[in-house]
Amino acid sequence: MAKGMFIDTTICTGCKSCQVACKQWNGLAAEPAHFGKRSGVPYPVADNFTGDSYDNTGSLSATDWRHVRFIEQIDEQRREKRWLFSSDSCKHCSDAGCLNACPTKAIVRTDLGNVVVQQETCIGCKFCIPSCPYGVISFSEETGTVHKCTLCNDRIHNGLGTACAKACPTGSIRFGEVPDLRRRADARLAQLKGKGEKAQIYGYEEADGLKVFYLFTDRPGVYGQPEQPVVPQRRLVLCSLVTILTALGIGVAALVNFRERLNGKEEHHES
Amino acid sequence: MSPDNVQVPEWAWYYIAVYFFVAGTSAGAYFIGAMEELFSSAKEREVSRAACYVAFPLLLLVPIPLIADLGRPGRFWHLFIYNQGGYPYLNLQSPMSVGSWVLLVFGGCTLLSFLDNLVADRVISFPLFSRYYNRIPRKLYALVGSLAGFFIAGYTGVLLNVTARPFWAATSPLMGALFLVSGASTGAAAISLYLIWRQRNAGEEVARLESFDRALMISELLLIAVLLVLAGHTAQLLVTLPFLVMFWLGAVALGIAAPLWFKYRSRRQHFGGAPHLAHYLCILAGGLLLRISLLQAGQL
Ligand code: SF4
Ligand code: SF4
Repeated sequence: MAKGMFIDTTICTGCKSCQVACKQWNGLAAEPAHFGKRSGVPYPVADNFTGDSYDNTGSLSATDWRHVRFIEQIDEQRREKRWLFSSDSCKHCSDAGCLNACPTKAIVRTDLGNVVVQQETCIGCKFCIPSCPYGVISFSEETGTVHKCTLCNDRIHNGLGTACAKACPTGSIRFGEVPDLRRRADARLAQLKGKGEKAQIYGYEEADGLKVFYLFTDRPGVYGQPEQPVVPQRRLVLCSLVTILTALGIGVAALVNFRERLNGKEEHHES
Repeated sequence: MSPDNVQVPEWAWYYIAVYFFVAGTSAGAYFIGAMEELFSSAKEREVSRAACYVAFPLLLLVPIPLIADLGRPGRFWHLFIYNQGGYPYLNLQSPMSVGSWVLLVFGGCTLLSFLDNLVADRVISFPLFSRYYNRIPRKLYALVGSLAGFFIAGYTGVLLNVTARPFWAATSPLMGALFLVSGASTGAAAISLYLIWRQRNAGEEVARLESFDRALMISELLLIAVLLVLAGHTAQLLVTLPFLVMFWLGAVALGIAAPLWFKYRSRRQHFGGAPHLAHYLCILAGGLLLRISLLQAGQL
């Protein structure tokens, strides 16, 4: 019953309908970091002109749960050019670093497989933030808690699709059952490869399978995604073992240094 | 657009690095004291007594920075009780969760040892307590407490290693080991400072503590070297300005190398003079700067 999304970046036109739909459905305010005070102007003034193509969102944040990336590729002779778009969000990892890290059970997985933050439980310890390999989950100074895409938890539990998929005019964002989406993705991949294009799916193996996965025509790094994401908790056993061995080493060092005393005590008893 | 877009937690160094340091020192002092308690005759107790007097007051400071850094400080109890179910919650995959619980256990043990010594030294006489305290065998909570202490000194490093920030991830699996050794060394320095302050010249005991500490500091230097090799290019920040002073000059040179050299040179000198005092203070300051450096090198 796992729900998810398939993002076919090859048919995205960069219209940002998904960003708008996300903000509207989820009642998200403008990103506070994007506005400043100007003397003499009674309202906040936008200062989020990144100069990076048509992007003025910059990154995912506590109020921007979707982010359309614009990637301009121009070759050295300035003859060949390509404009790539990719709409990014939480991937709802099957092995989610954020969820594994949370000490309060604020981050849970629902019966539909999506990963959500329970606002009433989060204490704002921020441990989940560096634990997400994709840099998704973000802290809000306003609420003192973390926020991210919920896969439209309220909508999908009432038989609707996600707001972004609903709004996407090209079908680049598809909502559905993960196995169905994978079939669709495989078919599209075969079609592109048949035309001789370089294409790959991102998200089948990563973190035991991303519920929100992508079709890319270049390396993941070009789209701002890590090439080799690692669920950080997979290092826990080794780290713990090394630390325990060190503790044993310290214990032995203490024993060696206090041994004289033990000997001394024995001699004392013998005499 | 860099693919290394893993976000920074923005933990405030003046809370979190200070917590790492204070908890590490308290835990280090405690397990050194407990080792003496466990391995020694009943007569020589200067070091373990000092350890108990150091560990508990230091640990009392710990909740302040930990809670102050939360986005919702009033909800700190969610670390122990799942607020929506009302039952205790422990997440074995999360060092933050396990660490919070072990802090409680460690706190209990340091409190018992602290009271135990106050009664033994006849500073307090709490009739009820005096009647009952001996029923909990001292060695038992020295054992439990030292295991908890090892955990407290080391888990903060493991916590950094199991995130996706490049520097913290690349230094896996050594951060826990380094924090543990550093905690033991600053713990030993705190014990010695206490002995100087109370003008206890524990003679042979201090000599043994010193030789133990020399071994610790040598391994600390080795660990730092290997850790930097592992970190590779993710440690680039450590050769930029604030870190050149804070990490290389402060933590490594003045905090470990110089005191270590002093320890070898002054082996026969009278314990408790001004140079001794200064070199213990250097070790403590170095331990603090080490935590600040390794925290900020992963955050900036
Ligand atoms: S992408 Fe990040 S925030 Fe989303 S489920 Fe995975 S680890 Fe959590
Ligand atoms: S900030 Fe909130 S959601 Fe994130 S780990 Fe801490 S308690 Fe859990």
